Amino acid sequence: MSETTILTAEGLEVSFTLRGRRLAALRGASLELCRGETLAVVGESGSGKSVFAKTFLGMLDKNGRIERGSIRFDGMDLAQFRSERDWLSVRGKRIAMVFQDPMTALNPLKTVGEQIRETAALHRGLDRKTSRTAALETLERVGIHDPELRYRQYPHEFSGGMRQRVVIAAAIACGPEILICDEPTTALDVTVQAQILDLIKSLQRDLGMSVLFITHDLGVVANIAQRVAVMYAGQVVEAGTVDEIFRDPRAPYTWALLASLPQLGIKGEELYAIKGTPPSLFKEIKGDAFAPRNPLALEVDFVAEPPEFDVSPTHWAKTWLLDPRAPRIEPPETLKRLRERLAADRRRGSAVAGGAKNAAQGGSR
Amino acid sequence: MFSYIVKRLGQSLLTVAIVIVSVFLLLRLMPKNGYFTREDYVSLDKEARTAYLRNLGVLDDPFTQFSRFMSGLAKGDLGRSITVYPRSPVLEVIRDKAPYSLWFGLAALALSMGLGLGLGILMARYKDSIVDGLGTLYVTIVRAIPSLIWLFFIQQWVTALLGWPMLFYEDRPISWILPTISLALSGIAWYAIWLRRFMVDEENRDYVKFATAKGLARGRVMRGHILRNALVPLVQYFPQQVLLTIAGSLLIESIYSIPGMGGLLVNAIRQQDNPLVQALVLLYAVLGVAGVFLGDLLMALVDPRIRLADARTKGGEA
Repeated sequence: MSETTILTAEGLEVSFTLRGRRLAALRGASLELCRGETLAVVGESGSGKSVFAKTFLGMLDKNGRIERGSIRFDGMDLAQFRSERDWLSVRGKRIAMVFQDPMTALNPLKTVGEQIRETAALHRGLDRKTSRTAALETLERVGIHDPELRYRQYPHEFSGGMRQRVVIAAAIACGPEILICDEPTTALDVTVQAQILDLIKSLQRDLGMSVLFITHDLGVVANIAQRVAVMYAGQVVEAGTVDEIFRDPRAPYTWALLASLPQLGIKGEELYAIKGTPPSLFKEIKGDAFAPRNPLALEVDFVAEPPEFDVSPTHWAKTWLLDPRAPRIEPPETLKRLRERLAADRRRGSAVAGGAKNAAQGGSR
Repeated sequence: MFSYIVKRLGQSLLTVAIVIVSVFLLLRLMPKNGYFTREDYVSLDKEARTAYLRNLGVLDDPFTQFSRFMSGLAKGDLGRSITVYPRSPVLEVIRDKAPYSLWFGLAALALSMGLGLGLGILMARYKDSIVDGLGTLYVTIVRAIPSLIWLFFIQQWVTALLGWPMLFYEDRPISWILPTISLALSGIAWYAIWLRRFMVDEENRDYVKFATAKGLARGRVMRGHILRNALVPLVQYFPQQVLLTIAGSLLIESIYSIPGMGGLLVNAIRQQDNPLVQALVLLYAVLGVAGVFLGDLLMALVDPRIRLADARTKGGEA
């Protein structure tokens, strides 16, 4: 599906130097983002999802660098970009980003309008007057009433949800091809979360953007994405459509992640939790990074890193379980419940994503 | 905004009033023989001393003295100096001396801001580079070594090296340079280190990352976001610094023999020249309080969050 692909990251390795020690934040992470789709990247804290997204904008912290791998976008390899000049043709203009915390992402001393106008003026080469008009339109587009008044106000005069709308407006002001959303709803309260998700969905539809949505909230994934990439310890361990990941997960880590959805718990029974902690990325990781926490791990998992096995043209997973020589290991019982619920939802005629959404939403928030 | 100004103005006036009253009362507690020069005290007999004191008005009860002081103040009369400049009107003393301190002070302040802010920007922009290191070295030297040492060093060595006059001469502009530079050295360090610090603080904030993610070049982020926001906490001190230049510098004015305001208050206190002390304390209190007041106004002007108290009633939350 190369002609529909807009951005391809392959074997990305990123490391940071922290107090003289090397931390491997990405250990060969790969993903493909298609035109007009929403791809969710999920994983627990420290799995490298934010670092992954930052490499697409060249915004790694100073002590971090890309050691290997490529990021292909429109015939360019972003992983080779070194100078600011290179990045300025892409950053904010063709690939834009929305931050997690809208309370701190805006300059408190500049009017909201100015911060949106700035982007429009910069990337579309507009003069003050036309860029102002563009900013007003964008404000209206993200659902802010009375844009003329709001344009002149400062961030502290906005609520959290409204600020996130402003951040989104500033990000899309120049019509980017890719919008990266780094946990844009995590800092918001539940009722506002849904509004922001709806906004992102409708903007994506109207502007035909591709959205890379980073989250650790599986409920949000089902709500917004068409495809999912699951990350663990600096690698993408499984990727597929939302349907494939929720109904037919293959990697043990994905199993564990799904099984710990609170909605799948039975009242009175203890909720499933993944044992242990993610591996230290300061140390060399041998074999499958998840093996030490995986009660079903095979011997080979401790020795060799699994390759990517294709399950379907759109679904692959990095696990030895997919090797023809591997013993047959069934996913945990809890996941059957998820599958049953999805099936039940489907019988009722709701869309697959919607079904997964219903099954997965609520408690994970 | 209006209620904020009124409130701050009220607080400022109250502060000035408290300062005046307390200084006035404290001075009345001092022993009376401080009003005499040593020779006078010895040569005058008891009656003559009393007559002298009565003539000065210091034997009246404090309330009479205070009301006399206040009514004089209302007429723009600050009284006459007693011991430091016998019988000269205080206002005249200040009028003669203040311009020297003011002009040197303003020139030095301009220099401090120009060079200090410039250095601060460079240090923040090239953090951890050689520029930053040299800047830090300069700031450390200026702030760690007692100023007396480098002030004398400049006076002795630089004048010898360049063949410039060692003292201040009103008619030789070349003699104005070193006092101005000496006066500015610590100001440069002050501006540089604080601006650097505030800029580095701002640089790590999320909104700066977001501005970068929007595609703004580093130079533009520096100017439009980081520098602008970092100047806000400094702006507050600006009016105060301008107004208090009038107080002069004790050290620099005395080593270069500049007839400024520098040592005036110290002398007046030492010689117990009550009218002069009162007038100077009043002047400095008014200037200091006015400086803080104007600084607060300026802050409110550049930082919209301070206008919050007023804006909140208009309802900005959605």
